[in-house]
Amino acid sequence: MDTLKVRDAKDVEEVVRAAIANEQPLEIIGHGSKRGIGHAMATNAVLDLSALNAVTSYEPNELIITLQAGAPLGDVLSLIDAKNQQFAFEPMNTAPLLGTPALGTIGGMIAAGLAGPRRIRAGGARDHLLGAHAVSGFGDSFKTGGKVVKNVTGYDLCKLLAGSWGTLSVMTEVTLKVMPKPEAERTLLLRGLDDAAANKAMTVALGSPFDVSGAAHLPKSAFRAKTDGLGDLAGQGEALTVLRLEGITASAAHRANSLRELLAPFGTASLIEDAASSALWGTLRDVLPFAAGGALGTWPVWRIVCPPASGAALGTQLARETGGDVIYDWGGGLIWAALPPKGDAHAPAVRMRANAVGGHATLIRAAEDVRRDVDVFHPQAPGVAALSERVRASFDPKAVLNRGRLSRGAVA
Amino acid sequence: MAIMMPASDQAVLARRAEIVAALRAIVPGEGVIDTPAEMRAYESDGLTAYRQPPMVVVLPDTTEQVSLILKYCAGQGIKVVPRGSGTSLSGGALPLEDGVLLGLGKFKRIREIDFDNRIVVTEPGVTNLAISQAVAHAGFYYAPDPSSQIACSIGGNVAENSGGVHCLKYGMTTNNVLGCEIVLMSGEILRIGGKGCENPGYDLMGVITGSEGLLGVITEITVRILQKPETARALMVGFAEVEAAGECVARIIGAGIIPGGMEMMDKPAIHAAEAFVHAGYPLDVEALLIIELDGPKIEVDELITRVETIARGCGSVTLQISNSEAERNLFWAGRKAAFPAVGRISPDYLCMDGTIPRGALPKALARIRELGEKYQLGCANVFHAGDGNLHPLILYDANKPGEIERAEAFGADILRACVEFGGVLTGEHGVGIEKRDLMPDMFSEIDLNQQQRLKCAFDSQGLLNPGKVFPTLHRCAELGRMHVHAGKLAFPDLPRF
Repeated sequence: MDTLKVRDAKDVEEVVRAAIANEQPLEIIGHGSKRGIGHAMATNAVLDLSALNAVTSYEPNELIITLQAGAPLGDVLSLIDAKNQQFAFEPMNTAPLLGTPALGTIGGMIAAGLAGPRRIRAGGARDHLLGAHAVSGFGDSFKTGGKVVKNVTGYDLCKLLAGSWGTLSVMTEVTLKVMPKPEAERTLLLRGLDDAAANKAMTVALGSPFDVSGAAHLPKSAFRAKTDGLGDLAGQGEALTVLRLEGITASAAHRANSLRELLAPFGTASLIEDAASSALWGTLRDVLPFAAGGALGTWPVWRIVCPPASGAALGTQLARETGGDVIYDWGGGLIWAALPPKGDAHAPAVRMRANAVGGHATLIRAAEDVRRDVDVFHPQAPGVAALSERVRASFDPKAVLNRGRLSRGAVA
Repeated sequence: MAIMMPASDQAVLARRAEIVAALRAIVPGEGVIDTPAEMRAYESDGLTAYRQPPMVVVLPDTTEQVSLILKYCAGQGIKVVPRGSGTSLSGGALPLEDGVLLGLGKFKRIREIDFDNRIVVTEPGVTNLAISQAVAHAGFYYAPDPSSQIACSIGGNVAENSGGVHCLKYGMTTNNVLGCEIVLMSGEILRIGGKGCENPGYDLMGVITGSEGLLGVITEITVRILQKPETARALMVGFAEVEAAGECVARIIGAGIIPGGMEMMDKPAIHAAEAFVHAGYPLDVEALLIIELDGPKIEVDELITRVETIARGCGSVTLQISNSEAERNLFWAGRKAAFPAVGRISPDYLCMDGTIPRGALPKALARIRELGEKYQLGCANVFHAGDGNLHPLILYDANKPGEIERAEAFGADILRACVEFGGVLTGEHGVGIEKRDLMPDMFSEIDLNQQQRLKCAFDSQGLLNPGKVFPTLHRCAELGRMHVHAGKLAFPDLPRF
């Protein structure tokens, strides 16, 4: 296999043009941290962006940072953390779940678009990508968006690039919004609720004026194995419902008290602060109870997005039917499901239940032979699928970029 | 008219009677308007300098009718211009002489309010404000608040990706919309997204939002709603120099404070507004900031103190803090009335809408001043300072020969300066026809071709709202052609592993 390590956007253009001329599809990688997500690709050439890794500019007062796509996410997080800033959408670190060593690159973070618990309040990767330079499947560099937050000039192609898994264009440089880190965080803990009651409690909290920035539920079964970051919280072996409040110290503390009163019908909430709270939300963001190195490490893992109030019914039934485990985030709107190993990863049950409530499911972790037989990404209605394919072809008509990653049978 | 629209299709115009009859067969009764007198209401939108009566107006009230109209027009090669409430400031709904004007004004129903999932499903003709009003009893509201919110439709908001004073903290339309029902030019009806936080596959909702009616006709929208903040207070701070006001904005953001709104006005705008609404604005300052903090009372009180300290540190010369809703509203009254206030001091004005990096604010103001001298026209400036979105209001008199041309040239130079300073041509009003011919100042031909290829994926005949956004129209077949490189290229000489 050829690995082509590009040095600049011009190199990327040349590689893509050669790929077009040779009818030789390319796999696009940064650090390869998420290579295990999606279908096997029809290619034997790799376009490696890891050397395209500079910080082009960082202007903390403008709340923006411009980076080359191969910039290591870990380094960038340290850089903005030093200015007390963050990516508000809490990009997930997939390494523990997938059992890979690397945290990945900025390009991978955007291309995968996997947002963490604060998605409900701050939006996802798509909401924080302000502009991009990319090379299309025509072999041409183009730009879209800009370096300012407020911009409606032309189609917002950034939205398409975020979450496109490298199938539309090769991003070479991106401008992202950064946000101030909250001064303080408080997390309320409710114990012993079943999924349905927890879903109700989260709905009440998210429907309150207290600006909840995280609402998750770990059923009792999530504690059957020891998990990093849960510390003593897991010790009691009871289901845990957690609600996060962030902001200036006085406000976070005040809102935590008000929310505790509001949630009194669901039990007496206890409180954790700052470092302990932050460790807990890191555990949830990265789905550590299902980590590759843990007790459920060999189980396939689904990421199901649904209307938040439907979460508990969907998750409870799915867990019961398959004997699997679920964790709820986004107030019930995101369900992580680790299901016992099976040839089809229980895809029919997962998809039927997701479809029934207008949700969708992605098979984030599964062995390669399972991914050969199961659609990793949620099949769409025929009209939307056809439009999506036309959109894809408008960027990459010869399908030279990550061909076959998004759908089975696309491998030609 | 300085802007050239696509040449009218004479063959279509010759068949007007037949087309009207065909549309009447789809939308019976008063839903088809074809008399010049009745069509006059539709000949312009908020960009009133440009007027063009459409060939015919059709006002469907069901998705099926929209689908049949588009299918018919696609089959007959007839252009279609969609329209919501017609409040666009960039001419997005300007009719075409040979086009059907498709008004969505009859789609006025809110279909579902779901407090548990914190969403509203609405038809596109519902006004922005009506959504907030429909959920206010439960303490909710819809966050984006364009200044036309009493009149503008939510469908138009999606088409334009509308912003507003509070989008600094709460985002633009695109950050607050979850799904839609859209009818493609072919007549095909698609559902994109829904009540979940995220949609599967490519983010089609994201690219439909802000597409200015060129990709499809939206017939239903799902928006997310938020709980209203407990309280809001505002500071009104005057500065002797624009630079100091700009520095104050930067330091507030730098301190990690994201106000609900942060507005700036320059001296001409302050004077015009004060003369109109008597809000008690200081008249001897060069710049006035209105900074609003919202949230729980304890938080707002604390942040007000922090912002006050920052403002004094930047050399504020006047500083008032609202202690009641009445006072807060008074602070805002002048800013909210800035456009009509300027309308009182000048027979006509052009409202521009560029965005620059916040730090370039003083530089941009200096440039606007220079340009004003060059073009011999006055300019009052109001800004969404928190996000660098400028609204220079260029004063002119349409009755004086040559003034509108000078005003337009002045405006174009301001927008070019925005791009030069690292910003963009439009922050929230859209490209439409107004900024269409400036697109090459911001985008290369390759950039624009990629955007137009996307258009082809939705509308391969280019019949939906042509003449807007893109200065040059290309046929889809031409855009889809690949570069043919001589022979078979080898992979270039790169490090291999």
